[in-house]
Amino acid sequence: MRSKVLDRIIKNTPKDVEIFVDLYADLVVRINQLLKENNISKKELAEKMDKKPSEISKWLCGEHNFTLRSLAKLAAELGEPLLEVPKRRPHATFISGYNRSVHTFVVYKKIEPVNNPKVIEWQQANEINTLNNVG
Amino acid sequence: MSTFALEIWDDQGTLCTFYTVRKYTGIDAINAESETDKFFIRFADSGDFEDEIHLLARLITENIGNKYGATDDFFTRFENKAHALPPKPGSKVEEIKEFGLDFPLRLFCYRISESIVILFNGGIKNGQTAQESDLSMQFYEAQLFASKIEEALKDEMIKVSKDGRQLLNYDDSTEIIL
Repeated sequence: MRSKVLDRIIKNTPKDVEIFVDLYADLVVRINQLLKENNISKKELAEKMDKKPSEISKWLCGEHNFTLRSLAKLAAELGEPLLEVPKRRPHATFISGYNRSVHTFVVYKKIEPVNNPKVIEWQQANEINTLNNVG
Repeated sequence: MSTFALEIWDDQGTLCTFYTVRKYTGIDAINAESETDKFFIRFADSGDFEDEIHLLARLITENIGNKYGATDDFFTRFENKAHALPPKPGSKVEEIKEFGLDFPLRLFCYRISESIVILFNGGIKNGQTAQESDLSMQFYEAQLFASKIEEALKDEMIKVSKDGRQLLNYDDSTEIIL
């Protein structure tokens, strides 16, 4: 069941707005998780980011714009990536319509268990004659 | 305070069901629109807040409803007994201003669990506090709705279903009127 009003709004939502909100929510949850996992308080985080007291206050009350650099600083302090950019495998177009692409295959091979494995037992050498190997 | 019904507003997400309230205006006379629909219609059709309405709708349906559930991450604006959406950025995401400190709209709600949230009405936050803003009426109504729901849960007049996704009367019926 969904309200008809909500349904209309969802259907008219631009794609860029959807992407922005999803990224926003992912970041909120991710940063909270990392702070909790690493047991870092807000004050510690601000201090770790090497800010002056005035800067820390600004940092804490949100007077900064959302920048890639600040996200990178946060990621560095938290020790984990916050944003990941998808990467494509190398792909090049060849002459005459041929193209080259790199694929990864996984091969599964069934290995039968060995009934009588050859075991080399360890034997302790009581005496070591260092001249044995002298030719 | 007038009587109101609790009805499902959106339960299509895999993690959270959203309820809304529909006010009774007299004996057996019920409002044509739920309180949450009133909020979305008012701002979606105004032209000035179309983007904000899309942002809120996406946050509610996809991120809270489908991806994370109603976790603490999204309920950081305490409005006495109720909450307000969107969440404020706080120190952890202080850089995300567009969808935090500067967001002009507030939608009041009451979170029962990570799987059930009741959405009310809201408005434009243009004062220091909700009480000083144009949405003061909706703020007071949200407090009354939240108190009555809280009381009904405490008195076991209503309960959460076994799967955690639905509100039921004490006799397992689903038409909830408070």
